Amino acid sequence: MGTALLIFRLAARDVRHHAAQAILLVVAVAAATATLTMGITLSGVTSRSPYLTTRAATRGPDVVAYLTSAAQATTLAHASGVANYSGPFPVAAATIHFDGRQADVFAEGRSQKPAGVDQPLLTAGSWVRPGGVVIERTFADALGVSVGDRVAMNGRSYAVAGIAVTAAQSPYPNLCNGTLVAPTAAASKFSNACPAFFNIPFLSLGNGQYLASSDEVGQVWMTEPDAIGLTSPANRLTTYAVNLKLTNPDNAQAFAYDRFVHASGATSPVFSTWQGLAAEDGKLIQDGQGVLQPGAFLLALLAIASVAVLVGRRLSEYARRVGLLKAVGGTPGIVAATFLAENLMLAVFAAVVGLAAGWLAAPLITKPGAALIGAAGAPPLSFINVLQVIGLAIVVALAATLVPAIRASRGSTIAALNDVGRPPKRRGALVRISSRLPIPALFGLRLDARRPRRSLLSAANVAVTTAGIVTVIAFHAFADNKLAGAIALTGGGLSNPVVNRDEQMLTVVMVMLVTLAVLNALFTTWATVLDARRAAALMQALGARSRQISSGLVLAQELCALPGAIIGIPLGVLLYKVAVKHGSLPPVTWLVAAAIGVLVAMAALTIVPARIGARQPIVEVLSSETA
Amino acid sequence: MQQEVVLAMLAKEPSSGSRLRARLNDALGPLGEDVNDGQIYVTLSRLEKAGFIARQGTESPDAGRKVYGLTAAGQERVAEWLSEVAWPKPDLAEFHLKLVAAAQAGLADPIGIVDAQRRELIRRLWDVERAAMAEPNGSQAGLLLEGIVLRLQADLRWLEACERAWIDRRKQG
Amino acid sequence: MNENSSGAPIVRARGLRKEYGSGSGLVRAVDDVDLDVAQGEALAIMGPSGCGKSTLLHLLGGLDRPSAGEIWLEGRQIDKLSERGLAQFRRHDVGFVFQAFHLMDELTAQENVELPALLGGRSPREARRRARQLLDQVGLSDRAGYLPSALSGGQRQRVAIARALANDPQIVLADEPTGNLDSAATLEVLRLFDGLRTAGLTFIVVTHDERIAATANRMISMRDGVFVDEMRLTGGSKRNLANCAGLGG
Repeated sequence: MGTALLIFRLAARDVRHHAAQAILLVVAVAAATATLTMGITLSGVTSRSPYLTTRAATRGPDVVAYLTSAAQATTLAHASGVANYSGPFPVAAATIHFDGRQADVFAEGRSQKPAGVDQPLLTAGSWVRPGGVVIERTFADALGVSVGDRVAMNGRSYAVAGIAVTAAQSPYPNLCNGTLVAPTAAASKFSNACPAFFNIPFLSLGNGQYLASSDEVGQVWMTEPDAIGLTSPANRLTTYAVNLKLTNPDNAQAFAYDRFVHASGATSPVFSTWQGLAAEDGKLIQDGQGVLQPGAFLLALLAIASVAVLVGRRLSEYARRVGLLKAVGGTPGIVAATFLAENLMLAVFAAVVGLAAGWLAAPLITKPGAALIGAAGAPPLSFINVLQVIGLAIVVALAATLVPAIRASRGSTIAALNDVGRPPKRRGALVRISSRLPIPALFGLRLDARRPRRSLLSAANVAVTTAGIVTVIAFHAFADNKLAGAIALTGGGLSNPVVNRDEQMLTVVMVMLVTLAVLNALFTTWATVLDARRAAALMQALGARSRQISSGLVLAQELCALPGAIIGIPLGVLLYKVAVKHGSLPPVTWLVAAAIGVLVAMAALTIVPARIGARQPIVEVLSSETA
Repeated sequence: MQQEVVLAMLAKEPSSGSRLRARLNDALGPLGEDVNDGQIYVTLSRLEKAGFIARQGTESPDAGRKVYGLTAAGQERVAEWLSEVAWPKPDLAEFHLKLVAAAQAGLADPIGIVDAQRRELIRRLWDVERAAMAEPNGSQAGLLLEGIVLRLQADLRWLEACERAWIDRRKQG
Repeated sequence: MNENSSGAPIVRARGLRKEYGSGSGLVRAVDDVDLDVAQGEALAIMGPSGCGKSTLLHLLGGLDRPSAGEIWLEGRQIDKLSERGLAQFRRHDVGFVFQAFHLMDELTAQENVELPALLGGRSPREARRRARQLLDQVGLSDRAGYLPSALSGGQRQRVAIARALANDPQIVLADEPTGNLDSAATLEVLRLFDGLRTAGLTFIVVTHDERIAATANRMISMRDGVFVDEMRLTGGSKRNLANCAGLGG
């Protein structure tokens, strides 16, 4: 009991003594654990899909079909296996304008009385009336409308009567997600784009071809007369929607597949099933996870690197303390335990902080597109999850401190007491090469050569940071592409909520990455400058100018940073591919620019500490250090 | 020059005065110059009178010179001397009392006396050190010179201590 | 105080002062010191530890700035020089030998000696040649490739001396050059200094060891930041030697 108390007191005092380093350690580990917590939370949400809640609340259909004539629709509604139906509802194509923004919509004509299948649930306002339209919730967000605003559709003005959610389509912008296309003999496939043979005029390229994909179509409901009023000889009514409830909901796939397979031609119906829609909903969340997990991985790496640098700096001072403890009778066990205890205490504390932060931040991400009700909120973290996160923190702390702790506790006592720090390494070849270089390069290269482990850590830091930035840039480019490239429409300019949300998350991750990387870089520079004090003072005593010394210190960092930035580019691309499986890459020049940006930032961060390091009083430094 | 030294030098083999002189020069290096020829011969005759050495005739190659060799008593005395551990006395008491006397009588400033003595010792040290630097590495004389230098340094340390002590004493009034 | 007929003093200081702290904590390490050193002269500054002699040497070598006073080296005033000018100075005109050697642990003896030459702008090949020559001069040509950890104290100090000579300085300043050495190693260094002195280098050595002063021809005693005494070394008097050895009478 006494030993444990002693260890605890020693560790606590040491933490107070080096508060700044303790804080940095906590920040590093907390950032990593917060990201991981958010990732875990998201994965927990998949199984609690809001889609199902919405389906229950809106009497969601098992199968939705779009056909080219009302008669066809009615025939389908009376097919065997159908228990209930609503429709056929005319679906007109229109362009909506509001506040300088425009988009394409399917305007579905509805009765003012509630339907038996798929009655969208109002989240604001009231249901359709003559001159009053109801807009799907995510689309309304993107468009920026609220109840009471006036919108223009195909030149006519309407009031926004209400805002609603439905389980019959995927929320904007993935309206056509979940529709059945091109089946193979083996299985049906769901598209994430509106089918080419969907007979909607604005999908036409004008030369007889249709665009294969359109994600930027919104859903709007209005009275049937109003909907028909939108059509014209140029924009004829060609589509009817019917919502089916089957006697056996699980049969929905088979039902749709059967009819799809036997249809053909330009008038074949388009189906979507509730399973397809549910799967699409799930993808939304997995997508998000796909963004977070690489982020958490990168952060964990950075956290380990930070902790390693922090710990490495303290090693010689630690070695003396070890020698002292052992000289007064402490066993190697106690000694290692003190060192580990301190770092583990901080890591666990950081894990708890990260858990709390991640749990509180999770709702920002688990509101999948606002279209489905029952946003997940803050789901409870299971005990296992908590253990996972704390486990990560412990792994990070151990990875950085275990080896030095064991080595120090095993070494000879007198050697530890006399320890003057790890002697610098000698690399004969590098020394020879450096003598051919100008003085700053000579100094910088030799500085890196004498502390290879720290140089490696610095390079790793830069590699991870560059990878993170590359991933974010690639994702931004991908998002921009989705927005601008997919539809050849003028105007538009609506934000894509899914991509937005992904971008938000990625930005959050990147901000954390960059903060951590900056702190890490500053710290490594500080450690380098401190370690180089004697060498710098000596060089100056021999006649080097302080500008040569400060340039040398900056060069030392840049020499490590360069390979890191180079490796970071492919690493970032790899992570991007993991997050966005089929995305295309942005131009290489952008990625290279990112790497160069990191290098420049590194230099900027190093300049001030380097200047300070080069201006120390020569005599003071030399007298205080031993030969 | 201690008599026993000359006696011991003869223990290797009987020698004439001039051979002895040469061997002493070898061992003493530059310091050998300061040893007077006369001193050697005087010592030799004293030792002869005391019965420790005896003339050995002229069988030696340097005919015409007196060659001396050890007697039995002489050998005994050498053996005795070799095992004695008396060490040459440092004569600090004299200087110490000089300072005390000067201070008590008010004749001179003890610190001034110490300074003057320091200067003299430093000069001597310089001379000896110069001689030592001129000797080849590992010479016997070099070893002797090192000993002299270290002694002088020790004395100088003591003089510094004297100076500090007398300055403190003066401060306390 | 002492100007050679051959010209102005190569080192000249007036009213030199170095202070630390302030108010009641003010310490004057060097307190109003005047000094002239002629070219080719070897000066030893002696005093107990803490008397300010090391500080004085740092000021003369441009490693530290005085709180007051003026210093001229080789006719140029250095107390007002910019950092850059001082660096230039330290590179070419002054060679400094530290008590703690201050060699770079990860460089061989030769690489240590090359360093000032490289700083001085010589090509790597020339620097290497100069280093070899100097190591030869100090008697360490067979240890050129050794790390300092593999050298004895005396050998390390000789490397440090060789390094101080790398750029052919006019003045060599040495701070306790034999402070960490045993008797035999001290003799090695003394011989070296003597040889350099006869070659015409100007020497200022700070020490509390009288032996090193034997290589000088002038000795100044320092206490509490001021000069208190001065001696010139006259020719040797061998009569004294025998007395010291107990060979008298």
